[in-house]
Amino acid sequence: MNKPELLYGERSSPDFARPESVLDYAATKALALDNVEIFYSLFEIPMSDVLRALPASLHPSIPAVLCTNFWKATESPFGPFAFAYVGPACRTGIKPRHMVTRAWCDNPVAAHYLLTHYGFDCKPAVIRCGESYERIRGQVLVDGKTLLDITTTDCVPIVGGGSVKYSPPLNLCLVDDRPLFAQLEVGYSFKRVLRGSLAAPVFDAKATGDIALTPSYAIAGTFAVCDVQLMPVRFAVDLTVSAEEGGAIKLKR
Amino acid sequence: MKFGLFFELSTPRPFTTENQRDVYENAIEQTVLADELGFNSAWCVEHHFLEEYSHSSCPDMFLAALARETKHIRLGFGIGTCVPEMHSPIRWAEKAAFLDMLSNGRAEFGTGRSSTWNELGGFEANIDETKRTWDEFCRVIPKMWTEERFSHQGTNFSMPERCILPKPVQNPHPPLWVAVTAPGTELDAGDRGMGAIILSIADVERVAPRIAEYRKRISTCEPVGEFVNDQVAIANWMYCHEDGDYATQKGNELISTFGYMAGQTVEISEAYPANNYTALGLLGSLRPDPNAPDAGKKPPASGLCFGDPKHLVETIRRWEAAGVDQIIFMLQAREHLPQQDVLASLRLFARDVMPHFSDQRSTKMAVKA
Repeated sequence: MNKPELLYGERSSPDFARPESVLDYAATKALALDNVEIFYSLFEIPMSDVLRALPASLHPSIPAVLCTNFWKATESPFGPFAFAYVGPACRTGIKPRHMVTRAWCDNPVAAHYLLTHYGFDCKPAVIRCGESYERIRGQVLVDGKTLLDITTTDCVPIVGGGSVKYSPPLNLCLVDDRPLFAQLEVGYSFKRVLRGSLAAPVFDAKATGDIALTPSYAIAGTFAVCDVQLMPVRFAVDLTVSAEEGGAIKLKR
Repeated sequence: MKFGLFFELSTPRPFTTENQRDVYENAIEQTVLADELGFNSAWCVEHHFLEEYSHSSCPDMFLAALARETKHIRLGFGIGTCVPEMHSPIRWAEKAAFLDMLSNGRAEFGTGRSSTWNELGGFEANIDETKRTWDEFCRVIPKMWTEERFSHQGTNFSMPERCILPKPVQNPHPPLWVAVTAPGTELDAGDRGMGAIILSIADVERVAPRIAEYRKRISTCEPVGEFVNDQVAIANWMYCHEDGDYATQKGNELISTFGYMAGQTVEISEAYPANNYTALGLLGSLRPDPNAPDAGKKPPASGLCFGDPKHLVETIRRWEAAGVDQIIFMLQAREHLPQQDVLASLRLFARDVMPHFSDQRSTKMAVKA
């Protein structure tokens, strides 16, 4: 029997800029944050676009999906901070993930921690995220320009957290001088969850990744208040090894 | 213990006419052989937009083809999706009765509601309502078969009085089933007096408590149909070969291929949190098994039927002890195995495994008091 065709990312690994972030994966303590507000949204995007954006070490979800995720923590070891990221859904083996294509943070100390411990290469930005009587809204502004403005309206409560699944983000960073996608695993303890109708009044596709990914269909927005535990990175995916032959690598401390 | 086949009709890329046709034709050939060998049933899923994983969007047509190629084997919708954006319950009643007519009373009707964004999102279904619509479909479809004329004013479905045709051959009607993927759905099946098709890639011991609970619930059920279909079927995998190690290796390849295909789909809980999808469906259960106490690690799979005949007899004995009435086997994944190997596996199973389970139980039909 002929080897079947498989659906993998088509972007060659040299097309990815060598990451500047170096992962400190020796860390063994989780970062605990209480009462974090998470505004997580999913859009469908054209499959042809996501195949151009993903490397061969990842394969896409079907249908192709893009997420935006805003976090606002009012208390943390770094003081209050908010961060946001964008990226297409992907799979490592059979596991659902998101490949982060752009991230922002409004607190330089928090940004450094996110960079060194989880590989988020956050750009400085003004990040607004919050819940009002009529909608959930997340915004990213850089130099006064709005790059992202995501809203969710007509929210309904979701009972418990069992219905909510956030796919772990993958950040391209240097691990022992190798470009790897570091996988952030987070434990969530949900206190309140809302789901509503999603819209993106502003989505600057060119500012959210090297390859423009433009939402074509809004799926849903979810707003949650939860306690989170950001675990030390345990797994990574080699940018240069095809998904068929690679998959997740367990980092050895 | 009875045995059947379960078809996803998974198809390798590229989606050429030849590749797609081979999948259909091979599945028909497998069913014809299974009919000759004494297998009890052949089931076909309904799925939409699931690239590679399942090109089985019209199970009624596939089953109609089987009806004319076979003589004895029962033919099951495994399952028909009870979501109004995809089907009217009238159409399901018509299709199942039509199949019953073409097969001379061999139709089984499985029901479900889908668990992927691919499908529910693709049809722009009201995801929050699927449990309610499934329940309403299950209650009206048997009446469409048994009442000469039927009318209904419901929550998600209404119709003026009409005679829904044809009426089924089986009296009072084809057996009703529910596909059980998420834990807890077996209770919904039991409460309604419907058979449970438990899709399982897991340990026998992990499924056994769910079967026991199903039996409890169905003993006090209020059946939605005219009779109680007190049956548990396990949808499982099978590859039988004289060389047990070889069979296990090939079986693991099937599971791996299936996992790759299933892994690409987008589960509802991944995309659209909803109160009626609190547990992962089958596809999501591959990542990881929701029943596993050590969820996140590779699920054990002692209930899979990969091995030599002796091993399969032992495995099936354990399913039998757990209270399973029939096992319906998936045989392929994206045509990974050559067709001749699949046919040889069926023949070997029929020759060396099935005779150990010759005490075939007839379908239970406890007519509603």
